[in-house]
Amino acid sequence: MIFQQIITGIIVGASYALIALGLNLIWSITDIPDFSQGGIYVIAAYVSYFAVTLARVPFFLALLAAMAVGSVISFILEKFLYKRWRGSGRIQLLCAIALFFLLSNGAILLWTPKAKIFPAYLQGGIPMFGFVLSFQRIVVLAVSTLLFIIVFLFIQKTKMGKAIRAASQDREVAQVVGINIDSVNSMVFIIGGALSSTASVLISPLYAVFPAMGDLPLLKALVGGFGSVAGVLIGGLGLGLIESLGSVYLSAAYQHGFAFFVLLIALMFFPKGLFGKV
Amino acid sequence: MRIKLKNLIAPAIVVLVLLLIPQLASEYVIYVVVLAMLYAILAGSYDLITGYTGPLTFCHGAFYGLGAYASALLTLKAGFSFWLAFPASGIIVFLFAAIVGYPALRLSGHYFAVTTFFFGHFIYLVLLNTVKLTNGPMGLRDIPAPTSFLGINFHALSASYYLILVFGLLAVVLLFLLVRSGVGKLLVSIRENEELSEAIGVNTAFYKVLAFSISGGVAGLTGSMFAHFFRLLHPTTFAWMTSEMVVIMALVGGMGTLFGPIIGAGIVTLILELMRFAPELRFIIWSVAIILVLIIEPKGLMGIVGRLRVGQGGKR
Amino acid sequence: MKAILEINNLRKRFGGVQAVDNVSFSVEEGSRLGIIGPNGAGKTTTFNMISGAIKPTSGTIELAGQRISGLKPHRIAKLGVGRTFQNVRAFGQLSVYEHVLTGAVASQFHFMPTPEQHEEVERILELTRLQEVREAKVCDLTIAAQKKITLATALATKPRLLLLDELMAGLTFVEIEETLELLRKVNKEMGVTLIVVEHIMKAVMGLCERIIVLDYGEMIASGTPKEVANNKAVIEAYLGEEVEYARG
Repeated sequence: MIFQQIITGIIVGASYALIALGLNLIWSITDIPDFSQGGIYVIAAYVSYFAVTLARVPFFLALLAAMAVGSVISFILEKFLYKRWRGSGRIQLLCAIALFFLLSNGAILLWTPKAKIFPAYLQGGIPMFGFVLSFQRIVVLAVSTLLFIIVFLFIQKTKMGKAIRAASQDREVAQVVGINIDSVNSMVFIIGGALSSTASVLISPLYAVFPAMGDLPLLKALVGGFGSVAGVLIGGLGLGLIESLGSVYLSAAYQHGFAFFVLLIALMFFPKGLFGKV
Repeated sequence: MRIKLKNLIAPAIVVLVLLLIPQLASEYVIYVVVLAMLYAILAGSYDLITGYTGPLTFCHGAFYGLGAYASALLTLKAGFSFWLAFPASGIIVFLFAAIVGYPALRLSGHYFAVTTFFFGHFIYLVLLNTVKLTNGPMGLRDIPAPTSFLGINFHALSASYYLILVFGLLAVVLLFLLVRSGVGKLLVSIRENEELSEAIGVNTAFYKVLAFSISGGVAGLTGSMFAHFFRLLHPTTFAWMTSEMVVIMALVGGMGTLFGPIIGAGIVTLILELMRFAPELRFIIWSVAIILVLIIEPKGLMGIVGRLRVGQGGKR
Repeated sequence: MKAILEINNLRKRFGGVQAVDNVSFSVEEGSRLGIIGPNGAGKTTTFNMISGAIKPTSGTIELAGQRISGLKPHRIAKLGVGRTFQNVRAFGQLSVYEHVLTGAVASQFHFMPTPEQHEEVERILELTRLQEVREAKVCDLTIAAQKKITLATALATKPRLLLLDELMAGLTFVEIEETLELLRKVNKEMGVTLIVVEHIMKAVMGLCERIIVLDYGEMIASGTPKEVANNKAVIEAYLGEEVEYARG
């Protein structure tokens, strides 16, 4: 029983970590906690849902399609909105929140608040420790891990990745050295959009697709979203685990309130975030 | 402090209109105006911490709810009279805000904002789940109206209305005095440049917590007013959507001007009510409106007013 | 004359860098001290430690016999230390008048600013020649004006000791002369002790009675302007850079 909770915790935590990674990248360059990613999360889920049910597209193609849509939306939002107020974090934050509401409520309007069941794309699983670990859950773990590694390598090894790291340390110096801040900004939003979309599409078959699905994951991701890639991973997974175990052993009702305490404690000891910047 | 007489004309007209509402308008309109007044004080008190001192917060709805439930429970379960429960709930929320604010305000802007988000959500969960105390999702009903005072019977709608109007006016006057005082100047200095503020001798940590606590306390008092006017409480009234609406009201009106958010609250409440029939559409329109406000004039209504004044060649 | 500031064995380490290394000096009350040195010598860091913006790694700082090292900046400010910043920090949205008034209210709080405080602000505006722009919004003014405003605001806090960090940078010749005159007045008429960090040699040499020189965090010389100007180590510290350029 506890093992099942642990697995659930890790799965859910992995999705938090993916969103958190995107949020962290965006925040490290722009200082905005990009709430609109919560809206993109929702849109991506619906895109993949319709791709699979209406267009009869195989799951992984639907995943890629959703990632593409997510990245594009994220890119457009940056280019036409956030960019206007570079330097005024407060306005950008308010805009991000407005966008989040816009996208979430847009989903309610377009597709009704009723949850849609995402058809399973893989049947069966591996029996272990008294329960069956479905293949779909394994896919979540596998894809999340893969993406983390890809993003990590991208940041560390590629030219753009280095530019991102430089810009996250010191925006002005980076520009003086010749780094194109516009490109860097666009890139982190594109990556962020792709990551949020992936998290959403991976989770959809396990739970359901509904307009409010982005609310809580976004807020949870903010908890894990401070610090280096390692920090984000540990933070996201950690929160998922705490929630999962806590909901069983402490209180189911306050499951979503754990984020608060984790955040408070984390920030009290690491006021500058866990593990420093990307 | 000099107040020009001509600046009093507009507020005087507003107060006059508010005085006449119960005599002229239907019950429905009275309810809406009461709601607008309550939101106006919420937005005004919100402006104290966010507009004047700086940090963005997203838990104002939670303070409102804490005050409402505290006051309701004190009267329902502890036998307090409203006249005792009202100030008590203000003090309770003030202390709550101080306790949360003391560690939280050490965090930089965005972390602090997110923390308040979670704090607000946590309070909502508590209100929802401690069923023994708050009745949870079934709501708290039969909250008593304020007991008779000076022979006035507060079960009557118009008497209740006037009570809220008096509260509103007093609250506005107090907030106004506060922001125009030395305290207000120090708060603004923190918003403008915290480092310089420290360097000239302002204990920024103390003043931030003070502003946060006073703002919370006033929200708590407003909650008490809400509870004893509508006499029915439900946790969802104080979920994060409310906190968000307060932010919108302050933004639309113009943060840091006190009267901007107050007017903004009035406008937003009225329009929200007019659009009751399509809830999702409401929020979409609000979201678009916020973005438009941010694009056109981030300083909100007061910013536009300021621009017009400058345009007319008047002194800013 | 007694010392208003005593610095003993002051050290500051940032990770692997020793920014300030065993600096000791004392400042007589009512005097004018200059701190000079090449870029990165530790001048601003020393200021930051005196004003409390950062904590020393070791060493003590005493203001009129009272230990202030490690105290929070606002406490040190209230004890009588005022400062300006290298990168101008100002309350942009305020009018010049309000800006200076905030300084007065910060140091002596009254629920409503008193008539005396208003008079004080007027006096300072006159002294610093800012009356003409008193209603202007600070962020709309030039950097030079903003520097004057932050100086005026610091004066409004009635400091015993003023720390001025590169106040003259970017000023025209005339503005520098005006500022020097203002500083001399502040020092002689208001009795404020001045510590000035500067790169503009003429200004420092002309204004200060004593000068200390920092290089790589260490104090390499101290004395009258004339002594310091002829000090071999000082010349090397400065010229050393120029010689590199010449060869390079």
